[in-house]
Formats: sequence, C-alpha cells, structure tokens
Amino acid sequence: MSTPDIVLRLPSSPRVLGLPAAETLEADEVTGHGEGGPAPKRIVVGYGFWIFLLSDIVMFSAFFAAYAVLSAATAGGPSAAQLFDIRNVQIETACLLLSSFCCGIATLAVEQRNLRLTQGALLATGLLGFAFLALEVHEFIGLVAQDAGPSRSAFLSSFFALVGCHGAHITAGLLWLGTMMAQLYAKGFRADICRRYFCFSLFWHALDIIWVAIFTVVYLMGVRT
Amino acid sequence: MLGKLTWQAIPFDQPIPLYSAAVVGMGLLAVLVWVAVKGYVPYLWREWMTSVDHKRIGVMYCVLAALMLLRGFIDALMMRSQQALAFHAPGYLTPEHYNQIFSAHGTIMIFFVAMPFMIGLINYVMPLQLGVRDVAFPTLNSVGFWLTAAGALLINLSLVVGEFSRAGWLPYPPLSELQYSPGVGIDYYLWALQISGVGTLISGINLVTTILKTRAPGMSYGRMPIFCWTALAANLLIVAAFPILTATLAMLLLDRYLDFHFFTNAAGGNPMMFVNLIWAWGHPEVYILILPAFGVFSEVVSTFSGKPLFGYRSMVVATMCICVLSFMVWLHHFFTMGAGADVNGFFGIMSMIIAVPTGVKIFNWLFTMYRGKVRFAPPMLWAVGFMVTFVIGGMTGVLLAVPPADFVLHNSLFLVAHFHNVVIGGVLFGAFAGYEFWFPKAFGFKLNERLGRAAFWCWFVGFYVSFMPLYAVGLLGMTRRLQHYDQPEWHPWLLAAEVGVLIILTGIALQATQLIVSIRSRRRLSEPMGDAWDGRTLEWATPSPPPLFNFAVMPNVKGEEPYWGMKRKAIEAMQLSPEPDYKPIEVPRNSPTGFVTAFLASILGFALIWHIWWLVVLALIGAYATFVVFAWRDVVEYVIPREDVARIDRANRSARAFALKELHA
Amino acid sequence: MNDTTAHAAGGGMGDLAPGQQDKNPKDFAAGLRSYLVGLALAVGLTIASFWAAQTHLIYAPGVSAALIALAIAQMGIHLVFFLHITTGPDNTNNALALAFGILIVFLVVVGSLWIMSNMNHMSVAMGESMHMQP
Repeated sequence: MSTPDIVLRLPSSPRVLGLPAAETLEADEVTGHGEGGPAPKRIVVGYGFWIFLLSDIVMFSAFFAAYAVLSAATAGGPSAAQLFDIRNVQIETACLLLSSFCCGIATLAVEQRNLRLTQGALLATGLLGFAFLALEVHEFIGLVAQDAGPSRSAFLSSFFALVGCHGAHITAGLLWLGTMMAQLYAKGFRADICRRYFCFSLFWHALDIIWVAIFTVVYLMGVRT
Repeated sequence: MLGKLTWQAIPFDQPIPLYSAAVVGMGLLAVLVWVAVKGYVPYLWREWMTSVDHKRIGVMYCVLAALMLLRGFIDALMMRSQQALAFHAPGYLTPEHYNQIFSAHGTIMIFFVAMPFMIGLINYVMPLQLGVRDVAFPTLNSVGFWLTAAGALLINLSLVVGEFSRAGWLPYPPLSELQYSPGVGIDYYLWALQISGVGTLISGINLVTTILKTRAPGMSYGRMPIFCWTALAANLLIVAAFPILTATLAMLLLDRYLDFHFFTNAAGGNPMMFVNLIWAWGHPEVYILILPAFGVFSEVVSTFSGKPLFGYRSMVVATMCICVLSFMVWLHHFFTMGAGADVNGFFGIMSMIIAVPTGVKIFNWLFTMYRGKVRFAPPMLWAVGFMVTFVIGGMTGVLLAVPPADFVLHNSLFLVAHFHNVVIGGVLFGAFAGYEFWFPKAFGFKLNERLGRAAFWCWFVGFYVSFMPLYAVGLLGMTRRLQHYDQPEWHPWLLAAEVGVLIILTGIALQATQLIVSIRSRRRLSEPMGDAWDGRTLEWATPSPPPLFNFAVMPNVKGEEPYWGMKRKAIEAMQLSPEPDYKPIEVPRNSPTGFVTAFLASILGFALIWHIWWLVVLALIGAYATFVVFAWRDVVEYVIPREDVARIDRANRSARAFALKELHA
Repeated sequence: MNDTTAHAAGGGMGDLAPGQQDKNPKDFAAGLRSYLVGLALAVGLTIASFWAAQTHLIYAPGVSAALIALAIAQMGIHLVFFLHITTGPDNTNNALALAFGILIVFLVVVGSLWIMSNMNHMSVAMGESMHMQP
C-alpha cells in the first residue's frame, strides 16, 4: 500500500475543533483491503470457518492450561510415566498425519473435479481417522480397567478431558466426512458442497495441528517427568 | 423413566415462586391463545420465527433482552426489599430463596439482557451501516438467536420445575460441586449457558466475518462507522473469550456428571483454577458488553452535535487497544485469592492502563460536542447521562485496581456499586440510547419524546439514589449477598437504595408506557423519509423500515460519513442523484433450522439436567437429522424481481424528493 | 450475497480464502508437490520429536525446549504446506486472525500457569510459615 488507510484532513477554520463534513474522495485516493465490495462466497465461507477454528483452538488452550496446572496432581495415583504407551502414540500420530495428507489429496481432487479420486482420498482419510480413534478408545478403556480412569485424580481428569475433547472433535469430523461423501455422491461438485468440503479440510488439518501439541505436551513431556 | 424428575420438582411448598410462576404461566397462555385466535401464527412463523433477515433477528434479540430485563429487575426489586427489611429481622425471603434470586439476577442480566441487547443492535444496524444486504451467514444468524432464546427458556423453567443455582452468577467450586450442591440448580445454570454460549459464539463468528469480508464497494477500514469498529472489537472478543467459558463450564459439568476432579477438594482438584479460568473469560466479557455501547454513543453524539466524530483515528486505535488489553487484566477479579505481590502488581497496573483508552474516548466525545449544534433529543440525554455516570464508575474501578485497596473492598457492596455503575451507566444507558435512536429506523415512527425524557430522568436519578448509598455502605464494611444483617449504620443507606430502585421502577413503567403510547399514535409520529435525526451514516439512506434487501443498489462509498456526503451533494444540487439501474436481487430463503435446533437444544438441556438419558439420545439424533436436512437443501435463495425493487425504491425516492423540495421552500 | 454481486476490481479483492492455495488452481502435480514436501518434513520432525524425548544425547533440561521448538516447527509445516497460510498481501486477513488467536492462546496458557504456580507457591509458603508459629 503506498497511501495510508486514513487520509488526514485539516479543519476548514482554526476555531473549529474537529473535522468538517466529509468531502467526497475518489475510491482510488484511499486504498485498503476489502473495498471492492463484498468478497466472493468462497472467501466469506472460508474465512468464517477459519474464525470458528481459532475459537476452537482457544477452547483447547483452556483445556491445555488446566492440564498444565493439574499434571502433577496425581493424588497418590498413577502418573504419566507409569501409564502412557509411547508406541501406541507413535502409531496414532502416523495415522493422523497420513490422514491429513490424504485430505490434502482429496482437496486437490476436488479442485480438479475428479469424483473417483475425491471419494477414494476421502475414504482413506476416514479410515485412517477411524484407526486413530479406535486406538485412542482402546487406550482409554485400558486406562479405566487399571483404575486409572478420570475419577482417579485431577491429573487423569484433565488428561481424559483434553485428549477426549480432541477425540470428540475427530468423531464429529468423521461424521461430517461421511455426510459429505454422501452429498458428493448424491449431488456432485456443486459450488456450496465444494465450499463445505474446503471447510472440512481446514477442520481436519487443524485437528492434526492440535494433535501435535497433545502428543508433545501430554505424552512426550509427560513420560519424562 | 424420567430420571430425577418427580412431582417434588414443582415448588408447591414455596408460595413466592409458585404464584409468580402461575401468574407468568397464565399470562403466557393468554398471549398464545390471543395470537392463535387472531390468526397471527402463520404470520409470526413466516415473518419472524423462520426469518433469516438480520433486521428481524436484531429486533427479536432486543425483545428477548427487554423481557428478561423485567425478570432481572423484579429479582433486583426483591433483593433490595429484602435488604431494606432484614435489619435485625429475617426479612421475607428464606436464605435458600434469596441465594437463588441473586444468582438468577446476575445470570439473567449479563447473559440474557446485556448480551442480547448489544448483539441485537449490532445485528440490526451494522449491515445497514456497511451498505450490504445481510450478515455473512443469515441462517446461522437465526440459529444463534434461537439458541440464546433456548438458554433463556431453561433459566425461566427453573422457576417452575426444580430450582435455580444458589452459587452466584459465577458458580465457584467447591460450593458448585456435587458434594455441596446436589440439586439441579447448578445444572440448569450450566446447560442454559452452554447452549446460549454456542449461540453467542455463532454470532461472534458471523459478525466478525461480515465486518471484515463484506462491505459496500469503496468502504475501506478507514471509512467504516465507529459503531462497526466497536462491533468488530466486541465480536473478536466473543470469538476469543467464549471458548474459555465453554471449556470451564464443561470442566465443572464433567466434575458433576462423570466424577472428574478438576475443581473438587478431593483427588488433587484445584478450585482456584476455576476462578482463574472463568475470569479469563469474565473480564473480556465486560468489554464485549461495553464496546458496542461506546459505538452507540459515538453515533449518537456525532449525529446530535451535527459534527463528524472528533478524532476518528484515535477512536479506532483506542477501541483496538481495549480489545487486546482486556485479555491482560483478569486477575484483578481475584487479587485476594493469594497470588504474590508481583502477580498482583502486574495485573493492577494493567488494569489502570486499560482506563486510558476509555479516557481518550470520553475526551473525543466531549470535543465532538464542543462547538457543535447540540440537540438534546432523548438519545443524547442518555449519552450525556452515560458520560457522567460511566466516568464515576470507571474511577471507582481504577480505585479497586489498586491491590491493597481491593483487599479491603473485595466482595463488598463497594464492588457491587462499581460494577452496576459501569454496567447500568454504560451498557444499559447505551442500550436505551440505541433503542431510542434506531427505533424510528426499524419501525417507521419515533417514540414519544416527553415520555422518553421522563423515563431517562427517572432512570438517571433512580440509579444514583439506588447505588451511591451502596458505595457508602461498602466502605462501612458490608459484604455482598447478605440475606440479613444487624449493623445499624448500614440500615439507612439500604433504605435509601430501596427508594432508588422504586424510582427506577417508575422509569421502567414510563418506558413501557412510552412504547404503548407511541404505537397507538404512530401515524402522528411517523417519519416517512427514513432519516429521523438528520443522520450521517448509511442506515439513514434506506426507507424506514428498510425493505428486505436493504439497498436497491449497493452504494459506492466515497469518503467517511458517506450518507452525509450524499445529502450535502443533493441539497446543493437541489435534486437527488439520478435513479440507479435496478436489477433483480437474490435473498436467502427463510428457514426453520434455527427454531428447530433451539427446540431440540431445549429438550436436550432439560433431559441432561434431569438425567433423562433416553431423551438425551433422542435429542442428539434429532440435532444430527436437522443438520443433514439443512445441508441437503437444493434451493437456498429466491429472487426479488426488478419491478418490485424499483417500486419500493422509487417510493422512498419520491418521499426524499418531497422533503428536499420542502427544504428549499 | 453471492458471487455475482462481488466486484473483481480494486485493491484487496485478491484475497484468498484460508486453505486456498491459489486463485486459479494449478495442475495437479504442482499441488501434489506441496503436500508431499509437507508430509516429508512433518514426518521428519515427528520422528525427531519422538527421538528427542527418549535420547540421552540432548542436555536433559533442554529437552522440553527442544520438544516445544519441534512442535512449533511441525505446526508451521502444517500451516504452510497443508493450509497454505503465507504472509502475502492476499493472505493478510487470514494471517492476522491466526496471530490474534495465537496471542490469546499464549495469554491464557502462560497467564494461567504463572498465576496458578504463583498461588500454589504462596500457599505452600504460607503453610510452612504457619508451622513455625508457637
């Protein structure tokens, strides 16, 4: 931008405080973003979903803060080092990362309007996501079975809430994915369905970003203490 | 079958809630029967309940807020009366009941009066000021409103079925944990707020996207009205802060429902963390409430001074500074919880710093009035009343920001007086100013001015008589939320406060009268052109009320205060700008999605509160089904034909041409 | 509001939606390259994280910092290669919103940790000094 956003104007009379009534200015005298009129729907929808994702990340940060504060409060019960199976976490991480990659392939396929590749990539995304979820549920059941459920201590409460919240988001994402695959099958690459698909891909990538934080802070740092 | 729900839930043994519930229930029934008999149901369904038009939704938000103001005010009346009577006496309210009343009062006033009022004003005015047809996501807008209404419904239901929370408007653990509050009261509170919280978040996302991505051509950031800037800042705060509330209340719900230990005394829980997290939301929340009010006052002061707002750029900078700083002060709500001097000192200093941008705004408003042609119409009365009252409240806030002072005054009536000072003087006065200011735009006729002035003076005087004594009695050592007391030196102040609240009651009665009288004499008060106050921003370029599509042709914005520029040009040329090239307009279809979602949410909330698990599952399935039905829609818009657009716009143009001729006559 | 009401001219209309790589989608191969590079880098950094957590080759107190740095790098890879968030002028709104979100996350997490640890410290100190009273 060469000219500043807001043009300063001198008052017409030195005795008058404040600016006089606005003179008309040509649109190209003052440049700025977003002054070509309302943005196209693709951008509006994408940006709105982006803002929602940021709010979701703030919600996760509250759970992270609670986990960080309570991670030492084991109340005489088992600690992270005693409970976490890093091998399992490695497999989960691989599943989710590959799932994110397949989602990227699906995005490219949608842009090319290639239905078979899209559905194939989405199926792979969903299966890998489901594998992640299955491993996580298995881990939770195992913990509860050895009396390390969320009621055992504040540390375990915060662990189950944080990781469980992420798992709940993955579940909702899988439900969304299934509905989206059905819609693509029934209605093809209609503009609004494509917009929703792009929102889903934002969501899925963001969940992988949050998982990076979880496996680092909860699992990797947890077993070291 | 019905979880914890039994006939015991209805308060047959408590006369006050029983009779008030009966009265409200019968009144509601009477209204519904009248509506049905008169045949208004199809109209209401078609034009209001399934509407996705931001103007309709804005009005509904304000109506919800006004109704809940009555309920919240009755709670206040009951509390003041109890405290006036309960000197060496039990008063007329049991402690259990009194505790529910102050909890309900705070919850309702913040979440179901102040928030909906501000969001309603933003919803109505902001798209018009930006020169666009609607918000970014109209159907989602409807969902957001109806979810807020569902939360309000649950709160009111607690009066009839069960009980409400007794733990205050922010339910601190361990009192709010299952061990000390085994009843359903806290659950009503938690689920009502989680449901309406989703609605608020939806609004925040919607309005941020609208302001940042959909504006009329030529409207750069530097040409946006200040009301839109404050709306942006407030909604950014909603998006950033409400997730923290959702998470924290979810943690408390997990503690209560699934035996988690976030905040319990046992198993390593940390009750102080609830206080920390809830206020990390709570402080930005009060800025969410006040920033739109600041925006209203900017519009009102510049319009009624006949001058552009002084210091536009500094206003914008001050607004965005407040937006960011509001996330750096939250510990001042719990100085006494035991953090060290360094932490307390940091947050104390930040709390003082945040007063500076607000001071900048006050000076800008004063400089706008200076040398202007000030007209004291009712909106301007509210604005000037705000300036005096809010400054006092703000100063007591800076006083409380000093940790050693706060150690004496924390949770005293001094604190109560402070926050009522800023919320009533700032948020509520702003709501009333906006209501008086934009009512002619929304409905095509002004409100009766004499009654408006009388109502203002009753509120203004009543506020001071009611709350200044509370400052005194707080300094004399009275703690908040006392159901009875026996200090003789407090009694006269509390009697004075009771008189004050009766003066406010008169003000409210006058406002209700004003509305009824104005509706009945609407023809005499009508203003056909659409520019009731000689306005400066784009909403005054539309007819009153604006048509569904707002602008026949989206305005091309040149310079700040685009409508003022348009008017000047028309007056100088002695004619309107040439008739635009009309085109057909696509508008979104109505949708029952919002109403159905909220209906299911209410059932879900009720089922969760009473542990009716099969109903929970059913409601969740219903929610998913609603989502799929909405996603499967094929026809989402309909077209308004060119002829209708032209006809509506030409009617307004002829009214304005007539007014122009009158001006030169 | 639909695409026909949007104007094509004027500064700022080159805005990209978040996640959108380009206004005109390039051929499949070019897009695929971005995702493959991103995947390779992400896999590498992930393996590095798991290795760093259990190796003895890194100075022990520095491992947490290393893990956090690696995590931030992984998030950056995701943002750039999968979400296509760049610092170009057509991405300004997206980047600004992200920056705002990161600021809030920082304030909430760091603020809460500072406050809560300070309080815990003060409570323990108080308890100890109480024991010293006769």
